[in-house]
Amino acid sequence: MLAGGQSLMPLMTRRLVRPQLVIDINRIAGLDAIEVLPTQIRMGALVRQEEALRSAIVNEYIAGLAEALAWVGNPVVRQRGTVVGNLVTNTAGAELPAVALALEAEFVVRHRDREETVPAAALLGAGSTLAPDVMVTHVLWPRRAGPAGFYEVARRDGHAPVVSALVTMSDGECRVAVSGVCATGLSCPSMARIIARDFPHAPPARDLAGALERDLTGPVYGDSHSSARYRLEVAPLVSRRAAGLMAQRAAAA
Amino acid sequence: MSEEWHDVAMTVDGAPLQARVRARHLLSDFLLEQAGAGGVHVACGHGVCGACTVAVDGLAVRACLMLAVQADGTHVQTVASLSELEGAPRSGAEGLTPLQTAFRQHHALQCGYCTPGLLVSTALFLSHHKAAAAPDRAAILDHLNGHLCRCTGYANIIAAIESVLP
Repeated sequence: MLAGGQSLMPLMTRRLVRPQLVIDINRIAGLDAIEVLPTQIRMGALVRQEEALRSAIVNEYIAGLAEALAWVGNPVVRQRGTVVGNLVTNTAGAELPAVALALEAEFVVRHRDREETVPAAALLGAGSTLAPDVMVTHVLWPRRAGPAGFYEVARRDGHAPVVSALVTMSDGECRVAVSGVCATGLSCPSMARIIARDFPHAPPARDLAGALERDLTGPVYGDSHSSARYRLEVAPLVSRRAAGLMAQRAAAA
Repeated sequence: MSEEWHDVAMTVDGAPLQARVRARHLLSDFLLEQAGAGGVHVACGHGVCGACTVAVDGLAVRACLMLAVQADGTHVQTVASLSELEGAPRSGAEGLTPLQTAFRQHHALQCGYCTPGLLVSTALFLSHHKAAAAPDRAAILDHLNGHLCRCTGYANIIAAIESVLP
């Protein structure tokens, strides 16, 4: 399934995947809309990352998404790459899948004979995959306004993150998304409780480190960019910094 | 992936073009080999370096991350259309655009391999900012994230871009 192609095309060029059939969805009418529903924002599979980042709807109703999108790729890649494509590709360490988990997004999945709505965790959690004959047509984001802070450690800005963290606060409820620690993104309710406890001050990193241990969903992974030990050590610090940025936004509001 | 052939029609730097391409053919290779667009520089070939950046219907695109068949019915502009992309005339004995002149004056290139892609995407970046406030240093750095230059260390490229800001 080819939308923005910013992940699939390099994989094909490097012969890491050799699909027999590629379906280009770029000319399907209506999939490029961002719509305001009563409790959710519906985003079609052709909404580009840069469009979402600059969307007044996204900035007003989805706390944290624009902050995270600003760290994805670079402007030229974001103009072509789609939000849904980035999510379903679910590359290890990618920012957005963790954000979708923490913000409790849902996916609209079209089967041959029916359509269903599934929670992000069903597609983005460990071990889950999409059947080859289905397509994710939309992502649904709960409507939640509030301050957000995003921070990331990467080898170079705009390149694959080592560890990233998003912290949001809406209606007194704190949410934390962390990427780059487990192979899939993490929603971190334990860290969120610590951040909410100390808000508007940033909590001690050691408290966050303890909470992170409880939020892990699988083994901490390491690769050629950085070891598992480094990821586990830096994640509480990255989250603490994101919490500080969120508090600054809250104070400015 | 399909080895089927497809008929495509597009304009490349203003000239209408009809061609037959394989489904697997990249837009970058097509522009170089079939459209004679020598200004398209292919370096990494998998979307990392930005050297092959062209405009498709007015949006910057990495030509190596798009299939030629996807460009059917579009207007493709390479660095040869830089004057149009900048919205500014060429001038002087060599017919350089304002951005090209700035790159030369600030030594913003050495080997020049990354330059066509940089010029195309910078022209579009600046035209997007024309309506709003001039881009600050952070916005320029974010923009340059999409381009690798192994010669200049970027400082002179930043200086060249800042010199053409209103």
